[in-house]
Amino acid sequence: MTHAAPTNADQEALNAKLEQANRQLLQSEKLAAIGQLAAGVAHEINNPVGYVYSNLQSLESYLTDLFRLTDAVDSAKSLEDLRLIKQNIDYDYLRDDLKDLLAESREGIERVKTIISAMKDFSYIEDEEFKLADLHRGIETTLNVVNNELKYKAEVIREFGELPEIECIMSQLNQVIMNLLVNAAHAIEEFGKITVRTRHTNGNVEIEVEDTGKGISEEHLNRIFEPFFTTKPIGKGTGLGLSLSFNIVEKHNGKIEASSTPGQGTRFRITLPVTQPDPDNHG
Amino acid sequence: MIRIQLVDDEPNILNSLRRLLKPQGWQIDTYSKVEDALSGLLEHEYAVIVSDYQMPTADGVTYLQFAKQKQPHAIRLVLSAYGDRESMIKAINQAEVYRYLSKPWDDYEVVAALKSAIDLYQLHKENQRLREENDAQRALIKAREDELLRLEADNPGITRVQRDADGSVLLSDD
Repeated sequence: MTHAAPTNADQEALNAKLEQANRQLLQSEKLAAIGQLAAGVAHEINNPVGYVYSNLQSLESYLTDLFRLTDAVDSAKSLEDLRLIKQNIDYDYLRDDLKDLLAESREGIERVKTIISAMKDFSYIEDEEFKLADLHRGIETTLNVVNNELKYKAEVIREFGELPEIECIMSQLNQVIMNLLVNAAHAIEEFGKITVRTRHTNGNVEIEVEDTGKGISEEHLNRIFEPFFTTKPIGKGTGLGLSLSFNIVEKHNGKIEASSTPGQGTRFRITLPVTQPDPDNHG
Repeated sequence: MIRIQLVDDEPNILNSLRRLLKPQGWQIDTYSKVEDALSGLLEHEYAVIVSDYQMPTADGVTYLQFAKQKQPHAIRLVLSAYGDRESMIKAINQAEVYRYLSKPWDDYEVVAALKSAIDLYQLHKENQRLREENDAQRALIKAREDELLRLEADNPGITRVQRDADGSVLLSDD
């Protein structure tokens, strides 16, 4: 190391390194979050897989019954025999239930598909550039990923306004929204409400995540965006979620604020510009 | 008739289980809300209760603990998509479940578990019936003995009267 003033090249190299480190941190925080969600996601998938799998086996036995009837068309001596078999296999029930069985199984597969594609959207690494994106779609994706963390803790209420597409890095905003949603669920002790609100106000969009949880005390409220600050027990939180969220929002030239009343709940509000002020600026 | 209660917050799970169990000819009651399942406990007597683990208003262990108080003879099973140690330990120690089944399940395994749970239920029932019968008979015997003792106290010797083949009282010298 020399003590000479750093040249421009040095400065740039350092900046690039910092940027790289920041990216890595972001990515590992994201993976850590996904890891913490994994048990919940497994649960979300095991439920539909459970009933679809069982339905398929029921379908097999239904088909065996139906084939007994169709095969008998050739061998039966009279129509009466066929009627007897039809009665025997409870044809009317089979007919009605087959429709339900297929509809429910399709629903199950759809759910697995939604969860998997949400996970994929969510863990997407590549895109690092600002693109026009639909915030509501990102919020829905994130809600799908964290559904299992939320549904036993809170009713999720969507109060969506009309939003234009905004210039953003959606995968990063998804991560911010996920942090806010998971924190909201953790703040709720029994069963509460989480409200996700969006609105469009002159050139900006706002996203609010409000919970009816235990709230944040005033001395903690000032520190929540600090790196490694956490009130969760060791191993439960990295203390990086909100600090990275803060960085992401800042990178989007937006701001994130929290207001809280202990005992009543917390509201986070993110304000983002619809268009980024300088398209050449990659932070 | 064997009556089985299934509790799961997911109606599709309940429907697929109903399909699976239909050929067995058991009466199947399904509940997607814990509150409704609780009132079901007051209306019917169940041989087996199968509950999901994680549900919105109460977890399966809490529910089964309650069910155990209301219907101690019903055999309790958990069917859960969470196979973690903690939930299993809670289910075994707190709700005293007979089997812990996981989702996705094997149809054969579920039917086999239910059948053996029903066997156990019937065994307990039979035990109880026999015990009650035994108690009743003992009570009968005791009542008779008491009566004999009372007669003997009132009229010493009356319970030891010896009779002839034609019913006449035999008097001996001692």
